[in-house]
Amino acid sequence: MVVTQKREEKHLVLTLEGRLDTTTAPQLEEVLKSSLGGVTHLTLDLAKLVYVSSAGLRVILGAQKQMSKLDGMVVKNVNETVMDVFEVTGFKEILTLE
Amino acid sequence: MISVKHLSKVFGDTTVLKDVNAEIQRGEVISIIGPSGTGKSTFLRCLNLLERPTGGEVTIDGINLLDRKTDVYKLRQKMGMVFQSFNLFSHLMVVENIMLGPVNLLGSGRQEAFEDAMRLLATVGLAEKAYAYPDELSGGQKQRVAIARTLAMHPEIVLFDEPTSALDPTMVSEVLSVVRKLADEGMTMMVVTHEMKFARDVSTRVFFMDQGIIYEEGSPKQIFEEPKRERTRGFINKIRTYLFEIRSRTFDFYAMNSGIEEFGRKQMLTPKQINNIQLVTEELLMNQLLTKGGDAVDIDVNVGYAEESGEVALTLTYGGSLFNPLEGDGSDEDLSVLIVKRVARMSKWESDAGRNKLRVIL
Ligand SMILES: Nc1ncnc2c1ncn2[C@@H]1O[C@H](COP(=O)(O)OP(=O)(O)O)[C@@H](O)[C@H]1O
Ligand SMILES: [Mg+2]
Repeated sequence: MVVTQKREEKHLVLTLEGRLDTTTAPQLEEVLKSSLGGVTHLTLDLAKLVYVSSAGLRVILGAQKQMSKLDGMVVKNVNETVMDVFEVTGFKEILTLE
Repeated sequence: MISVKHLSKVFGDTTVLKDVNAEIQRGEVISIIGPSGTGKSTFLRCLNLLERPTGGEVTIDGINLLDRKTDVYKLRQKMGMVFQSFNLFSHLMVVENIMLGPVNLLGSGRQEAFEDAMRLLATVGLAEKAYAYPDELSGGQKQRVAIARTLAMHPEIVLFDEPTSALDPTMVSEVLSVVRKLADEGMTMMVVTHEMKFARDVSTRVFFMDQGIIYEEGSPKQIFEEPKRERTRGFINKIRTYLFEIRSRTFDFYAMNSGIEEFGRKQMLTPKQINNIQLVTEELLMNQLLTKGGDAVDIDVNVGYAEESGEVALTLTYGGSLFNPLEGDGSDEDLSVLIVKRVARMSKWESDAGRNKLRVIL
């Protein structure tokens, strides 16, 4: 998985490309840990994310919790495969999807 | 139409074909399957004399292939051949590639050859590419041009040697649907292939080759569902299931996933089916069996596909204490169990001689 960061003042956009699974979820966790300082609004762009498992969902949920105390988190460009997983797990209701 | 009797082929001191016997009627579509290195290509190459048989007899429409007086060129024209590689001339336009044979070898007039080429290009769905050069085409399109080029010689039978093996998986189906269309039009064909769904759906008969002979032959139903002989059974079972053994917590997760993907593509599963197999496997292994299932790691992952029902079954057999990760009433469940339960159509756990056996239907 490749994570690309784009920061505009207090807004951080993370673009995820590839597979977010047991082996790559720690990588996203690491990026979040090191980059969220001073960020009040987070956008996850999942256009190029082709796979997500519960390991990835847990990290996304962690970010959502952290950002909800601030200006929030938006998840955008979710494709069908990933949306299926959001749907069966109820994440579709929890997340702010765009 | 073709009669093969006691055909043999020896290269140096290796006997590749021992004793091949077959009768092929006009209009038949024969799929040839079998492990690699068993002489499938050699068999086809012997039929159109790209290799000279060592012994035996092949007659085509009553003409003896091995008779020195037989006109080899005339015979080859009756038998088109399509290979893994397309071998188009890159300095010629698509339509010129197709016209080349008829003009030079059949003595057709240019106008006639051109019209025929355009008609054939339409048949393979590439009329709009007539004036393109091969380098501007995808692999699947090149192979379709190669098929049109073969048909331009008006063959009576077409031999295909793994026509889709060199292609990117996304292009396999466009080529197979052209082959399928030819079959529907009544073309006599022999196809060496690894595409089992294709072999099953399109052929009138299947030859399973092994040990230098046609080891077993029959209808697709007989070969794929009720193979009689041991080696055929072994081959069919192997191609219909994917097995991955896990003996350590640090097993190669990537290798397992790409193995599932490759298996799924060969079986023509949809991307969604492949995704779901990977997802359910990952959730059960990483969040259940490898975290809770006791000490020694001893798990067999088996993915099987039943073509008849279109069902995919994931079977995990594992040692350690008896443990069904999908047990429970659904309250207070973690994400991984939730995903498996929602994605699976059905699941069943049992103790099989002291070993856990969890079967999930997707
Ligand atoms: N021209 C050749 N010279 C020597 N050995 C050959 C030649 N062609 C094929 N073989 C050998 O014959 C065997 C069968 O090859 P092949 O017909 O290509 O098998 P398949 O198509 O079933 O994979 C292989 O062991 C191969 O190395
Ligand atoms: Mg071969």
